[in-house]
Amino acid sequence: MVSKTEETQLNSLENQVDNGGGGAWEYLCLVRKLKARRSEKVLKYGLSILNDPKKRSALGPEEWTLYEQVAIAAMDCQCLDVAKDCIKALQKKFPESKRVGRLNGMLLEAKGSWGEAEKAYSSLLEDNPLDQVIHKRRVAMAKAQGNISGAIESLNKYLEIFMADHEAWRELAEIYVSLQMYKQAAFCYEELILSQPTVPLYHLAYADVLYTLGGLENLHTAKKYYASTIDLTGGKNTRALFGICLCTSAIAQVSKGRNKEDKESPELHSLAATALEKDYKQRASDKLGLLTSALRSLKT
Amino acid sequence: MAEDLVLDTAIRDWVLIPLSVVMVLIGILRYFVSKLMRSFQVPDHKIVKEGQVIVRARNLRAAANFIPPKSFRSRRVYFSNEENGLLFVPKGQAQNAQAQMFSDPNMAMDMMKKNLSMIIPQTLTFAWVNFFFSGFVAAKIPFPLTQRFRSMLQNGIDLSTVDVSYVSSRSWYFLNLFGLRGLFSLILGEENATDDTQRMMQMSGFGFDPSKSLGAEKDGLDIVQHEWALPKFEHRAEAVLKKIVS
Repeated sequence: MVSKTEETQLNSLENQVDNGGGGAWEYLCLVRKLKARRSEKVLKYGLSILNDPKKRSALGPEEWTLYEQVAIAAMDCQCLDVAKDCIKALQKKFPESKRVGRLNGMLLEAKGSWGEAEKAYSSLLEDNPLDQVIHKRRVAMAKAQGNISGAIESLNKYLEIFMADHEAWRELAEIYVSLQMYKQAAFCYEELILSQPTVPLYHLAYADVLYTLGGLENLHTAKKYYASTIDLTGGKNTRALFGICLCTSAIAQVSKGRNKEDKESPELHSLAATALEKDYKQRASDKLGLLTSALRSLKT
Repeated sequence: MAEDLVLDTAIRDWVLIPLSVVMVLIGILRYFVSKLMRSFQVPDHKIVKEGQVIVRARNLRAAANFIPPKSFRSRRVYFSNEENGLLFVPKGQAQNAQAQMFSDPNMAMDMMKKNLSMIIPQTLTFAWVNFFFSGFVAAKIPFPLTQRFRSMLQNGIDLSTVDVSYVSSRSWYFLNLFGLRGLFSLILGEENATDDTQRMMQMSGFGFDPSKSLGAEKDGLDIVQHEWALPKFEHRAEAVLKKIVS
């Protein structure tokens, strides 16, 4: 994931290039390094460099990486002829390359000819059964065709071998959430928290899933994870603040009458509510009335 | 009786410098040859899986306190289960790793190639040094040494009264062998095949790597006491919010 400084750097470079300030090549390199998905801009500036023969030869061996980057961006923007030209140039230079084979497969995918793309990928996998990117492309294809259960199956098989790939776990978690298989999604989010415990995003998502699952124990756990998100983000995450309020009221409802006293954090709820009000007053003061009435109904 | 022997400057011009230059050139040559000869080693499916299992187990150990106790325990059982746990290596299998490595033809070929590319230039250069540059004093080491080094450093010189600081060219060869490593990493970048000493150290610890580290991870995992850190977070969140609100 992109860190904040890198993101600001990327945005400033983008502004610079947009306003005609040059530096297109640095922008493209940064996008490639951060694996950010800015296909339109990449396409525009990449093509401008590639079509100018002087600038192209100034790149030297980096020219081919640029071709690859522009090809992928073109496929993302559905400019398939541009992509085909780039791939042809690459194929002339590197006739037996696996990377070019992969680009060909991606082109077939972009065109929508799923069967041929599947054939291309299978043949590539035969030569190199442990290529991570190709496995992931197959999962993406299954997902794009709407075959979600197939996607889940291939993703699970992929994860059996490459179980340290946290992006794959994240994708699997999102698929499970979309299918409402929350227990499995919770498992995936736990894996993510294990591998990167300081990323508040995963704590938040895990708390959401637990809250949706319901049940007293899950609600308590969800509340704890919302609290950890607040801690990790310094209290700025609105969703976590809402989460705390909702959890507290849900717990109160479920354990109505049992009076299981909340010894751990009696003030958390009211503090969260106050923080929310303060935030809304600053940023969206016209909605403050709605907020206060909603919070009041939660408190009862 | 340390009389200062005056060494001919011609020795420096025709022995020390050419020897260093030749060794640098041979190193560069070896680097390029190894790059050409490097066969693309298809990573073994099992080894990749084991590596990833180790990373996952290590993550589990490191961040165990962030997940609820039930999930931690179920994961721990999954990893160290007696029957089909991922980290559990039955005693018999552990020893086979190295034997398997040698019987696997591809890997054996690869190791053979690496060995050859290392041994042959060394042997040739050593023989050349011995043939051409023996029988005279090549250099003087600036610090005094004990008599024990005499057999090592003064191999071609048959006089026993010469001070041990005066060494033969063979010792200059060895000095270059170990010393040029730094120079090579500067010229050729980090990954160079001339890192003989490093490679020698790596080879001795290769065979047992996967199964031993699996066992080590399993033991580490068994030891971990799960102390759920989340309740603490509620208090911390309170403190954070208090600061914001006030």
